[in-house]
Amino acid sequence: MQKEITLKRFAGIVDAYGASPRRWPDDERASAEALVAASAEARALLAEAAALDGVLARAPVEAPSAALAERLLAARPRGVAAVPSPKPQAGFIRSLIEAVWPYGSPAVPAGALAASIVLGVTLGSISDISVLTQETAVTASVESGTEDSLVALALAEPAWPEEWMQ
Amino acid sequence: MDETSDDELVAAVAKGDERSCRVLMDRHLARIVALGRRMLGNQADAEEVAQEVFLRVWTHAERWQPGRAQFGTWLHRVAANLCLDRLRRRRATVDIDEMPDLESGAPGPDRQLEESELSARVEAALQLLPERQRAAVVLSHYQGLSNTETAEILEVTVEAVESLLSRARRQLRTSLATERDELLRSREMSA
Repeated sequence: MQKEITLKRFAGIVDAYGASPRRWPDDERASAEALVAASAEARALLAEAAALDGVLARAPVEAPSAALAERLLAARPRGVAAVPSPKPQAGFIRSLIEAVWPYGSPAVPAGALAASIVLGVTLGSISDISVLTQETAVTASVESGTEDSLVALALAEPAWPEEWMQ
Repeated sequence: MDETSDDELVAAVAKGDERSCRVLMDRHLARIVALGRRMLGNQADAEEVAQEVFLRVWTHAERWQPGRAQFGTWLHRVAANLCLDRLRRRRATVDIDEMPDLESGAPGPDRQLEESELSARVEAALQLLPERQRAAVVLSHYQGLSNTETAEILEVTVEAVESLLSRARRQLRTSLATERDELLRSREMSA
């Protein structure tokens, strides 16, 4: 939708953006061009702005040096590090072992299972198992919640390009 | 002409693809150097800023989210902010004798303005603009960004961009009046 513009507004446009229609605001460009076609005053304003544009176009410009391009290519990323595969979900028995033996490495599942059985026998109560099962479930639930929130955070995180400023 | 999108190139850059780095540099490096040159007034500083911008691209490429922003506009934003930071630091230590002087080298009316001299004087006039006015002129006039993009980069309204541009061009019209007249005269002579 094009805005109708007055000569005063046209003067404001060329005063700010210069004589080239491609720099004019999109929603006023067509009206401004129509005014130029219809008004000698608008054409005078345009010529005035074009004279300044002509001088500004003489600002020096140099191509980037070859050394800059070389430095940048030398510093380019060299490929991503291998992404570790996600840790497989612990099975029910393994969860039990981890719950029973939280500070040790269950590197030998059979040994771990034996240890948990010995511990279970020693404690002599099935209720302990059910408590542990419940704790495991809570732990899993918390971990799952944390992962979900991290994913949500990553997706919602709006400011990553701002890091480029730092 | 390589038609791979910037987003696709950035994704390939993250994986270390040299060709994508080259294409991205071919597309954007000269423009970013030009931005720096007009903001900072010398090529060495402009190249330093451009280098910093692209090193950030290399570093953060794997985090680029396609569609979130125009890559080119983001480059301009990063470059413009780095330039404004440098100008702020420079202002804190500026020596008045180092300021560009338009009067001392003014051409006499009896001789034609040399091209290189004209370029130097336009550059000096740009350097005399207040920083945000200069940034508006560089982004909008020289880099060809829309007023919306310029407003976004400078974190002001479109109306404020227009005001910055008007004031900047008014000052440039005054400081480059001699050069403008000389240029018009030389065009008339050659016509």
